[in-house]
Amino acid sequence: MAASAVAAPTRNEVLWLYRSLLRVARQFCDYNIREYTKRRTIDAFRHNQKLTDSSKVAAAFADGKAQLEVAKRQCIVYSLYAPKVKSVMDVKRSA
Amino acid sequence: MALRAAVLRHIRVPVGTLTATGPKPLQWSLCSSLRFFSSHDDHLTKEEVIERVLSIVKSFPKVDPAQVTPDVHFQKDLGLDSLDNVEIVMALEEEFKLEIPDKEADKIDSCHLAIEYIYNHPLAG
Repeated sequence: MAASAVAAPTRNEVLWLYRSLLRVARQFCDYNIREYTKRRTIDAFRHNQKLTDSSKVAAAFADGKAQLEVAKRQCIVYSLYAPKVKSVMDVKRSA
Repeated sequence: MALRAAVLRHIRVPVGTLTATGPKPLQWSLCSSLRFFSSHDDHLTKEEVIERVLSIVKSFPKVDPAQVTPDVHFQKDLGLDSLDNVEIVMALEEEFKLEIPDKEADKIDSCHLAIEYIYNHPLAG
C-alpha cells in the first residue's frame, strides 16, 4: 500500500527538480558552496539516472525534494552571514 | 622625542592616504552597474546572439565543438540527454542574465530555438 501511494515521478517532475536545484545553487553567495551544490546536483542525477524500480525512483525523488528545501533554507541563512570579502574565483570572473 | 614625533607624523601619512582612497572601489562598482543597466538600451544583434549561444554550447564539456552549428539539435545531433539539455539552458540563462520559465525552457532543445528565444527576449543582455 505504501508503495502504491508513492507513484514514481514523471519525466517533467524530475527535470523540474533538476532545474530547481541548479537555480538554488546559483543563489549561494559563497563561491565554494555555489559550485559544490551544482556539482552535487549533477552528480546525484547522473548517479540515479539508470534507476528503473519505481519505488527507488520515488525515494530518490523525495530525497531530492528534501535536499531542495535544505538548499533553499541554507541559501537564506548564508545570505544573512555573507562573507564581506569575495572569493578570488569570483573576482577573476567579474574582471 | 622630536624624532619620535617626526616618525609618527611620517607614519600617519600613508594611513591618511589609505582612507582617502577607501571609497574608490565603491565608485567603480557603481559605475560598472550603471553601465550594465544602460546596456539594455541597445538590443542585441542576431549575429551577437548566435555567436554567444554557439560559444556556450561549444564550451559544454560533452559537446564536440566541431559539430556545433546554428541549426544543431542538442539531443539528436550532439548526443546529449535531457539533463544536459537543462544544463545548457541554465548556462544560457547565466550568459544572457535571463530567467527562462520552465515551460519555455522545456521547449528549447536546439541551437536554433535558443537563438530565436534569446533574440526575441526584451531583457537579454
